[in-house]
Amino acid sequence: MKQLILVVEDESNIANLITSVLKSADYQVVHAEKGHEALSLVASHNPDVIILDLGLPDMDGMEVIRAVREFYASPVIVVSARTHEREKVAALDGGADDYIMKPFSPPELLARIRTALRHKNMYTGGSAEPLSPLHTGGLVIDYDRRVVTLNGDMVHFTPVEYKIVTILGRHIGKVLTHDFIMKHVWGPYVNENHALRVNMANIRRKIEKNPAEPEYIVTEIGVGYRMTERE
Amino acid sequence: MDDQRPNPDALLDAIKSNDRKTGKLRIFFGYAAGVGKTYSMLDEARRQYENGVDLLVGYIEPHTRPETMQLMEGLPLLPPLAVPYKNISLKEFDLDAALARKPELILVDELAHTNPPGMRNKKRYQDVEELMKAGIDVYTTLNVQHMESLNDVVQDITGVYVRETVPDYIFDYADVKLVDIGPDELLKRFADGKIYSPERAAAAMKRFFTTDNLRALREVSMRKTADRIGHDTPVSAGSATRQPGTKLLVCISSAPSAAKCILWTARMAEALHAPWTVLHVETSDTKYVGEAHKQTLHGHLEMAERLGGEIVTLYGEDSAAAVAEYAAMAGITDIVIGIKKKSILDFFRGDFADRLIGMLGNIEIHIISGGSPMPEAAGKKQRAPGRVVSFSWRDTLITAAALALATVVSTVLRHLGIGDQSAILVYILSVVIVSRVTTGYMYGALASLLSVLLFNFFFTEPRFTFNVIRPDHPVTFAIMLAVALITSALTGRVKEQAKSAVEREHRTEVMYEINRKLLITHGVRAIAELVNGYISNIFERPAVLYTGNPAEELPVSSGTEPILLSPNERAVAHWVFMNGKHAGSGTGTLAGAVGYYMPFIAQGRVLGVMGLAGGGAGWPEHKDRVFLQIAGSLAAMALERQRLSDEQRQASVDAEKEKIRGDLLRAVSHDLRTPLTGIVGASSAILDTGDRLDKKEMKTLVAGIKEDSQWLLHMVENLLSVTRTGGGQFSVHKTVEAAEEVVAEAVSRIKSRFPGLNMKTRVPREPLMVPMDGTLIAQVLINLLDNAARHSGSGAEIRLAVKEENDSAVFEVFDNGGGIEEADLPHLFEGRSADSVRGAGLGLSICMSIVKAHGGNMEAMNNPGGGALFRFILPLENTP
Repeated sequence: MKQLILVVEDESNIANLITSVLKSADYQVVHAEKGHEALSLVASHNPDVIILDLGLPDMDGMEVIRAVREFYASPVIVVSARTHEREKVAALDGGADDYIMKPFSPPELLARIRTALRHKNMYTGGSAEPLSPLHTGGLVIDYDRRVVTLNGDMVHFTPVEYKIVTILGRHIGKVLTHDFIMKHVWGPYVNENHALRVNMANIRRKIEKNPAEPEYIVTEIGVGYRMTERE
Repeated sequence: MDDQRPNPDALLDAIKSNDRKTGKLRIFFGYAAGVGKTYSMLDEARRQYENGVDLLVGYIEPHTRPETMQLMEGLPLLPPLAVPYKNISLKEFDLDAALARKPELILVDELAHTNPPGMRNKKRYQDVEELMKAGIDVYTTLNVQHMESLNDVVQDITGVYVRETVPDYIFDYADVKLVDIGPDELLKRFADGKIYSPERAAAAMKRFFTTDNLRALREVSMRKTADRIGHDTPVSAGSATRQPGTKLLVCISSAPSAAKCILWTARMAEALHAPWTVLHVETSDTKYVGEAHKQTLHGHLEMAERLGGEIVTLYGEDSAAAVAEYAAMAGITDIVIGIKKKSILDFFRGDFADRLIGMLGNIEIHIISGGSPMPEAAGKKQRAPGRVVSFSWRDTLITAAALALATVVSTVLRHLGIGDQSAILVYILSVVIVSRVTTGYMYGALASLLSVLLFNFFFTEPRFTFNVIRPDHPVTFAIMLAVALITSALTGRVKEQAKSAVEREHRTEVMYEINRKLLITHGVRAIAELVNGYISNIFERPAVLYTGNPAEELPVSSGTEPILLSPNERAVAHWVFMNGKHAGSGTGTLAGAVGYYMPFIAQGRVLGVMGLAGGGAGWPEHKDRVFLQIAGSLAAMALERQRLSDEQRQASVDAEKEKIRGDLLRAVSHDLRTPLTGIVGASSAILDTGDRLDKKEMKTLVAGIKEDSQWLLHMVENLLSVTRTGGGQFSVHKTVEAAEEVVAEAVSRIKSRFPGLNMKTRVPREPLMVPMDGTLIAQVLINLLDNAARHSGSGAEIRLAVKEENDSAVFEVFDNGGGIEEADLPHLFEGRSADSVRGAGLGLSICMSIVKAHGGNMEAMNNPGGGALFRFILPLENTP
């Protein structure tokens, strides 16, 4: 069965472009121009992924995310022309799974959708089951044995570094905001912004060839970090 | 046309609102109680009330006559404030309620009234001034004997000293209405018991209400009113009363009778429309006068200030010479002095007045008789006991040692056969030493006496007794005592003078120092701290300084005790700020406060308030106040200068912003047009002739569209970063970022833009944390890399390096391309778009403003080995 994607976008040029890209990639597409329309389509069609433009004529995109999240668990990918990181962070912290900036290329969009769908399957598989080891490029995270190897060699992490690497690994392909990572590693009431940067720099020195051109963990300036999926 | 002509209604409103700024004062002026001042005030008020004026009867004396009371019926009354005072409850005018109610016109009886302790103002006229300041018109009543400048005249007429006085300047800005009836009519009313109750009437009749008194008072009050009118009308040329160039000088001492001289001079000056100055010469004699005298002098100077005189204090030993010198310098035409009791000293050097006359050339001298002394201040001239008879172990020991030494030395001299004369001189020398090193006159005098006794005991026959046999010895003793006493007094005096000269010198120096430092101090806070620090130091007490409204501004304070920072103190400071007058401890307003507060004013605007912890009655003295005033005006000048330079800087910042915005718009509209032309052209070619194009042509066109679009995107990102810096000025939001993350972001963006690019990056081994706006700095790097990629041609190598140097992060972008034309180097960052390479200039100017907004700097140069080098540095100082 084809997977169903809801595209919420008021700009018809962009909506046409996205629709044709998705159809050519063998997805089924429904399209909404307004926020309220989108909400009723989510309820009636239960799409596998939602692609949501934040600038809608009738509702603020953030409100749509909040409303959708009350009854809908599948991935939401935010598309936005707003460039300030604050909006990205707000969208991610508000319940969006990923974001993509306008202008974007069709392959980029399809890659994000694939990542989102894979996560959807991963999460709906149930969290109690032990996680299988993660392979991305030469990097392997074995959650059960609590061991990370790079090209077969063991990487020695401090406990904090290990925590950061595993949380990124579990959400591989997805941007995690600074706040999200800090809460996960240090608990909810601590602002360890500086410590996070320093730990990330140390992690990079242990797994990247050149910290200025990272392969495994990329920085989204002002937003957070993302572990990349590699063959 | 229409909108250029001022709207007459608006103009009228403006005039009205200007009028409203300060209220008008109308004084119903009479020569005695019972002439009908209150009556005619109420009568006038009634008429205003019937004309619809928003009127309030603020306060009417309760002993008012019944027919007067009748007039009050129907007028809105302000309930009096009950003030407890010595077991009784006084009914007083409620100033705050009146200010809160804010009528157009308020009636307040008895302008000369003194408020009971605990009220905000000591005197009712100060209440009235506050009302006027609040824009309320005031009607009030006043009797002639309460005018400060006429105080002594009235006393001479009636023999009654009136304590409650109103300064004459109040009269000057008031509209004065003379209420007058004949003395016979007044006496008749009086006899009928219409003015006072019969028992009070009897007492008053004897002392005050005599026909002669009333006639004289009536004349004085009429003359005063006439003078007042004379003031208003410009004096015509050749008028008899006008003496051009007249300048009066009154010399005063701390004697209570000096008040009379001041009043006389003030009246004279008013009649002649001449300026006048009060001069007080401080000598070493005046140093040790008692506290009572100091206060009297303080009172004199305050009174003179109220009456409009200028105050000058001089320091010197010979007061006549000081006065003469000052008079010649200041172009004084008339000098007023009081009669002084002769003293021993005058016997030696001549009477003050005589000597003064001898020293003056063309200046007239008026000598005012002492008259009857004012009762309250008739204290005996007393020396401050604490200063003259003060016991100190140190001084006692010094005296004993000096005399013992003198005795020993004289004994030795005697054994050497050197005569008695030497012994006398040795003793006098010891007296000089004692006077020099001890405090006050006492030990010097004591040493004089003791040295005579010792000389008598040890060195005159019969020795070791106090007996005298030779007839010339008593004469010797007397002369020795006189010489010793005079020498000791003179030495002490020289010492005191030196001390006060040092103190004055110190203050002058401090003033210069403040001034010098203020010239190089920037920032309101720094100025305030500087001035406050000096004031606190020089007066050795806690000080506080507000550089704005004390109700809103945080003060600068010094001193360990925060006594000046309580809400009450702050309220006093606020009052001073609003009213532009001094208040607090030692003044007539809010005297219960801990601190003394003084506004500092520049160009008629109160800029701030300074406060000092007070020090009892009579503090601050006149000289302290003058010092504060000068310090205040220095501070005011510095603050004003600061404000102007702030405004100027803001204006130049605004202009700079405007310029950047203009340049940007020009560059953008030019730069955008070119790629858009390409996109529009290519896409219409495809749409119109698509079926006739072969695959290769089609692909070239589409690739062109993509390239142009990407370039546009790059432009847009640059423009967005400009909005983030607010036009390139000081508004970046810095957070600590790892330099390598920002570099990584820029590199990945450039690699997707130029996939085949040969690029090398190097970051420090230790992670380098830099406070910055990461997105903006990434944008700078993208611009520099983009620039390098475009300029250096294919196959070139681009290197990006980050390092830490001297507390800064250094970012460098090299390429091995053709480098930069030397001629272009100076203009690279000026935002001019080079036509050959679209947008490069604009991009670089944006880079520069981003880096500058971070407090960093950027430079461009050619590599010695070929190619261009761009380097920018960001400060690391606020790394947590």
